[in-house]
Amino acid sequence: MSDAALPAAVPARKRLGLSDEALARIVCGLAILAVWEGAMRLWAPPFIARPSGIAVAFWPTITSAAFLEAAGATLGAMAQGLAIAVVAGTVIGLAIGRSWIADRALHYYVNGLFAMPMVAILPLLTLWFGYTSGARLATVVFASIFAIIINVSDGARSVPREYIEVSRAYRASGFSRLMEVVLPASVPYLLAGLRLAAGRALIGAVVAEFFAALNGLGYFILFNTRTFKHNEAFVAVLCLACFGVAVELMMNGATRRYLPWYRREDRGA
Amino acid sequence: MSMAMDQRAPAHETAKAPQGERAPARIRARGLGKRYGALQVFRDIDFEVGEREIVAIVGPSGCGKTTLLRCINGLIPLDAGEIVANGERVTQPIAGMAMVFQHFGLFPWKTVTANVAYGLRMAGATRAEIAEKVPYFINLVGLAGFEHAYPYQMSGGMQQRCGLARALAIEPNVLLMDEPFAAVDAQTREILQFELLRIWSERPTAMVFVTHSIEEAVLMGHRVMVLKGRPSSIFEMVDIDLPFPRNRSTLLHPRFAKLREHVWRCVMDEAQAAERELHV
Repeated sequence: MSDAALPAAVPARKRLGLSDEALARIVCGLAILAVWEGAMRLWAPPFIARPSGIAVAFWPTITSAAFLEAAGATLGAMAQGLAIAVVAGTVIGLAIGRSWIADRALHYYVNGLFAMPMVAILPLLTLWFGYTSGARLATVVFASIFAIIINVSDGARSVPREYIEVSRAYRASGFSRLMEVVLPASVPYLLAGLRLAAGRALIGAVVAEFFAALNGLGYFILFNTRTFKHNEAFVAVLCLACFGVAVELMMNGATRRYLPWYRREDRGA
Repeated sequence: MSMAMDQRAPAHETAKAPQGERAPARIRARGLGKRYGALQVFRDIDFEVGEREIVAIVGPSGCGKTTLLRCINGLIPLDAGEIVANGERVTQPIAGMAMVFQHFGLFPWKTVTANVAYGLRMAGATRAEIAEKVPYFINLVGLAGFEHAYPYQMSGGMQQRCGLARALAIEPNVLLMDEPFAAVDAQTREILQFELLRIWSERPTAMVFVTHSIEEAVLMGHRVMVLKGRPSSIFEMVDIDLPFPRNRSTLLHPRFAKLREHVWRCVMDEAQAAERELHV
């Protein structure tokens, strides 16, 4: 009989349009904010970032010229670097995936460089490119390209043999096979690589800004932290987190929109 | 349908050779042999396929039916013998041949229209030709209304109709069928068999039809090639003297039952022997 009483509790939440999951997430988030706020008020000096301070600083910060300029610089470098990494990484990845020679020649270097933290070569990059936005761009490309290469080469290697056979049976040229069969079959892998690369690109850009004192969100955070404007610094940190989520959402949207066939091949089987 | 196509149909009708006629041959195969390392798959295979003849190939699984078909298409090299098709020695895929694949071989990122157009585009057809032929062949295989569907949105039977349309669209004079209906359910399979016979009688070509279904082989073929042995070779070339056009009533023909029984014995002797060996 206690079961009968249960449904009565549900409609209150349902009216708000909240599922159990969303409710749990919100409650947990609020609890973290409350603990954070309370702890800061009790023990920390007033300039340390806290939820109420961030809330107040949020709007003035993201509309300030300094912030917008910094965000533009970081995102611009990230977009530019990713574009270079996608084009070059796809070409190299296809070569590794489809050519025995390219695979043998590059396999270990690519895997080694992918595993190596790009922060390690940042001092070298600043020597080669100077303390300029060129060094940041190089860091972004370096941070992201190997994830693309590895994923695309995996994709190109695992094109179902049947597709290759179809294209040969219909007398496609090698170039057409690459562009029309191998490349589209590798696109899902490219997207998986891009997802990974986008995160690494953002880290690369921010770290390069820390290291080379270039105008950007990384430097914005550094500068505001050192001038005791922790709330403002934290707004920029939140924005970086939001970019990560935005990239994820864009990828999912693009997959649904442009690759409707992907991951549905075995549906109904 | 275009005028050109309307006019071509009666031409086939008048030129229709008497059934079972084998010359001029579209495909001539002499002394074919294929090895994978130490494993000899088949050897000493000789046969011809007429311009408007269907040769069905049956044999126990693993006898190299599909390998033989791929050799005919030029997808894999032979180790012995030679195949001449359309007067050209086959060492790689040649013009005028089209393969229908067991698992359809459709590109999942292309719609029905784009998949059907693929062979034509690779054969260098112009935009105008593609725009004219693709809808015609989509219609011929009964896929009208699904032009913009992706393979994942269609049943196996519909996907194979699409695979068939892609092959027919290049208007080949040799059609190679690699167990085309093995991956669809039994009812769909029957429907597609009769559809294929209907389409073939509208546009007769040379056809090599690989199947593991004895009934299907007898239904489709002018002749049935029984492959057997290790390495396999032609055990018997069975003439199927059933009248064309073939349709559902062919299955009720007393001669059909006799021929099916005959081919069954050819194939099964060895299969049964193998079974017995396993149970020793």
